[in-house]
Amino acid sequence: MALIDAYTQNLTARQVSHLLRRATFGGTPAQVKELTGKKAEFIVQKLLAVQPTPSDPTDENQKTFHDLVWGGTGTNDTERNAFDGVRRGRLKLWWIGLMITQPVSLLEKTTLFWQNHFVSTSTDVSDVRFLYRQNQLLRKYALGNFRDFVIEITKDPAMLLYLNGASNVVGKPNENYARELMELFTIGRGNYTEDDVKAAARVLTGWRSLNFRSITDKTIGFEFRPAQHDTADKIFSDSYQKRTIKGRTGTTAGDDELKDLIDMILAQPETARFIVRKFYRWFVQADISDQIEKEFIEPLAAIFRKNYDIKITLQTLFNSQHFYDETLYGSQIKSPMDLVVGTLRRFNYVLPDPVKDRTKYDTATNYFYARNREQQMDIIDQPSVFGWRPYYDTDFYEIWINSTTLALRGAWTDYVVKGATGTALDINALGLPLQTSDPTDPYKMVRELTDTVFSFPLTDEQVKYLVEQPLMAGSPYYEWTSIWNDYTKTPNDAVKKNAAKTHLDRLMTFVLRLAEYQMG
Amino acid sequence: MKRRDFIQYSSASFFLPLILDGFGAKAHTQATTPFMQTMLEAAGANDNILVVIQLSGGNDGLNTVIPLDQYSTYSSASFRGNIAISESKILKLNGTPQTGLHPSMTGLQRLYNEGKLSIVHSAGYPNPNFSHFRASDIWFTAVDSDKLATSGWLGRYVNDRYPNFPDNYPNTANPDPLAIQISSISSTVFNTASITSAVAIQDPDTFAKIVGDKPNISTSPLPNTVGGKYTSFIRQQQTSSFAYAGQLKTAAGLGKNLVSYPSNNSLADQLKIVSRLIHGGLQTKIYYVTLGGFDTHSDQVSATDTSTGTHATLMQRLSEGITAFMDDLKAQGTQDRVVGMTFSEFGRRAVSNGSKGTDHGWASPMFVFGNAVKTQVIGKNPDLKVLKDNNITLQTDFREVYAAILRDWMGASETSVKSILLDKTFTPSPIFKNTNVLANEKEIPLTDLNIFPNPAQIETTISSGAFAKHNVDLTVTDVYGRVLNTNAIRLSQTEIKLNVSNIPEGKYFVKVDTGSEPLVKALMVLR
Repeated sequence: MALIDAYTQNLTARQVSHLLRRATFGGTPAQVKELTGKKAEFIVQKLLAVQPTPSDPTDENQKTFHDLVWGGTGTNDTERNAFDGVRRGRLKLWWIGLMITQPVSLLEKTTLFWQNHFVSTSTDVSDVRFLYRQNQLLRKYALGNFRDFVIEITKDPAMLLYLNGASNVVGKPNENYARELMELFTIGRGNYTEDDVKAAARVLTGWRSLNFRSITDKTIGFEFRPAQHDTADKIFSDSYQKRTIKGRTGTTAGDDELKDLIDMILAQPETARFIVRKFYRWFVQADISDQIEKEFIEPLAAIFRKNYDIKITLQTLFNSQHFYDETLYGSQIKSPMDLVVGTLRRFNYVLPDPVKDRTKYDTATNYFYARNREQQMDIIDQPSVFGWRPYYDTDFYEIWINSTTLALRGAWTDYVVKGATGTALDINALGLPLQTSDPTDPYKMVRELTDTVFSFPLTDEQVKYLVEQPLMAGSPYYEWTSIWNDYTKTPNDAVKKNAAKTHLDRLMTFVLRLAEYQMG
Repeated sequence: MKRRDFIQYSSASFFLPLILDGFGAKAHTQATTPFMQTMLEAAGANDNILVVIQLSGGNDGLNTVIPLDQYSTYSSASFRGNIAISESKILKLNGTPQTGLHPSMTGLQRLYNEGKLSIVHSAGYPNPNFSHFRASDIWFTAVDSDKLATSGWLGRYVNDRYPNFPDNYPNTANPDPLAIQISSISSTVFNTASITSAVAIQDPDTFAKIVGDKPNISTSPLPNTVGGKYTSFIRQQQTSSFAYAGQLKTAAGLGKNLVSYPSNNSLADQLKIVSRLIHGGLQTKIYYVTLGGFDTHSDQVSATDTSTGTHATLMQRLSEGITAFMDDLKAQGTQDRVVGMTFSEFGRRAVSNGSKGTDHGWASPMFVFGNAVKTQVIGKNPDLKVLKDNNITLQTDFREVYAAILRDWMGASETSVKSILLDKTFTPSPIFKNTNVLANEKEIPLTDLNIFPNPAQIETTISSGAFAKHNVDLTVTDVYGRVLNTNAIRLSQTEIKLNVSNIPEGKYFVKVDTGSEPLVKALMVLR
């Protein structure tokens, strides 16, 4: 029985929750219920199904802006940049909206994975049209072919700007993209030499983006300029078997050499391993033991390497016995996005409609975006080309947590329980006991409720404490039964309703501040 | 039992009221602090503070500290003509005509000319790595470039000085965070074998509020799984956040910025918080701040004037941030207790690229600033004719600077320095000519200044022939440099009587300013 073999049992509710926490930003209670008892294979098929293209991001008047000139009504570059800054913000809000309303699909979580892999930031690429175009590319290839993906991202106009590919010309190469292509995007550090970086930079000379921050041209794009291309042969080191990439001339030289370069890099077994490890740290856990390297990463990398098919690789990962290993439940610290979007989804939040209820939609997405940002996960604005540190640096996910961010996480869940009209957020605490088998029994109610909130079960001692302290605040536990019955018999009695709600709010505020809630 | 342990365990019995000039509750509630600090000093430590400034992205050292003696090479078209700063704009340094500073750094120029800035030329390490991540990690962990380490050099310092950390921290003797990073993400530099030794805060004013007023920490057993391990880690963070929140709130409330800081300057914003916390009486030893944006692959200078543009803005932020901070410390009277250093993961290529930028390089200058700085130039200008792959070669291993800071500023022993630097021996750079605290440094063995009795109980008399010849300005300060009220009474031409009955046991300094060199002598109060 190998780690990578398919898990063939029907999934329990806990397993479905685990799968949806990792493959999406967390399931809604209805989704978990619907999929419980189904096989992993069935659910993973659903997760991988092709999704309709989302409608374009719009402004407060429902007008698209990716198809206009840069800078809106600004009359100088400072004003135009400020105008575009608002649009760039709207792009982020649009994406957060898609994450909140996502169906059972891998698309959003995987697109975010790639945005954190092929980083370009809105701080550096200050033209929303480029960022949106890149986002569309990320969506197109998120579950597609990695080889094609790398080739396309290399020529992507936003990437050409972000990593200076656009200023990489014959005679005066700019090495920035070539270095990150190897170090971060494909093969990983330690598997190439400095001379390989220089040779790759020369292969990549001649590309540039078009109409960045243009106030006259509505369309953007990229082009290859043969005259700026280094036509000499490029010789690589032992790391690449001393390969020579033949220097070419003419209009197809850039594409031809780029294809050779990517083929050369992807032919190295280390490239598939590097990407598969990164998948593993995004979807499974940070710690890769020797055993996991040998029995999971290596066979999965072999599958990936065959055609560099992302979909088949992730399908194998999410179907594997290893993925459903019970000791891996809660083996991540939730990212801010998991925490913010996942909490909303767990409590059946309905995002206001962007067409019918625009103001509320804007307020809500903006609020949720700000929470992610303050917790250090600003989408399309990673702190560096490396992406977010918790996915590569020493200590991994623990980096999400420090005195400040932990406090902000607590402030966020407090807000969720409290609710707010501006963001149309209301967890309906009075409805929560109804999700359990016996709302009148405080121990059963708290046990079942917390089982759906945490990735691994609380101890009986903790459940007892939750009943005695936050729920009952020191009053005898059996009083809960009458509080609940009083409320359900006369649900319109404000005093009785309020009594029940106060108890439940106190419980939920406490529950969501427990350290266990941070486990994803 | 080690001496230091004895001191900490005994602290409860030393609780006494304290009246300090201009300082409030924080110091009051920690009445034993000066005494504790004095005794800890006697046990080998000091209360000096280190501020580390990380310049993230790889700073272009050659446009920061400019070799005027090689200007023609520096500015030639084949070298870095497209980004070279014009000679007339480069800032000159007193007594160091061969070296200049970027035109935006008038503040650092002033500090240099006042003797408060040290330039460490061409710092780095052998076998350089050009990856941002790996290179930063090498600086954080102080490891050789072909080895790996997971703990940071400042984390190991904390572990060396506070051997039991994090068990039972905070405690009475160390109620404050041992290290603070003004950020929302903690750096590897503070990693210890177990947990980070730093508290990361963005805003000390709101910190306590968001931490909440009740700890919500379960002690229930956890499963032996990865999730259990992470939960335990978060519980530990909850505990320490809660424990430190009150201290930070108090210090933030008491501390004040006494000068104005430049706006639109994220470094200045962070240093402003640091200064306020120091002023508020926080005992934190290390502060860590970051200025980003140094990865200048293209357009680091503006097309029309190479002394302006992206890099110039960064230089300005660095210089103005540090200068405002130093001025603030001076205004609060804590400037002798604070030293700062800057570093960047690497310098940039000496030869510029075609897009008015510079690619990743090797050695680059570091700055060390503070009143304690003694040697202002470590090494010499890089030789632009002797490059390796177009890179500036190494002169000073950055760990020699760390060693100087650890030994000569933080007071770590040779043995500790060696163990903090992963059992390698580095000769400390001679940045601080004398070692250790203000006490030892400023104390002049004057036969002409007598204090009797010393140690004192209630009253003591200061006598000096100098009193007769000059206008006398006498102050008594604690080890933090805070001025205490001692009701000085002039008894005669040569004698001044002090009343110390209101100040707690501990070590103090009597400073007599006679218009020329100040006289300083230690005064012990014991009962």
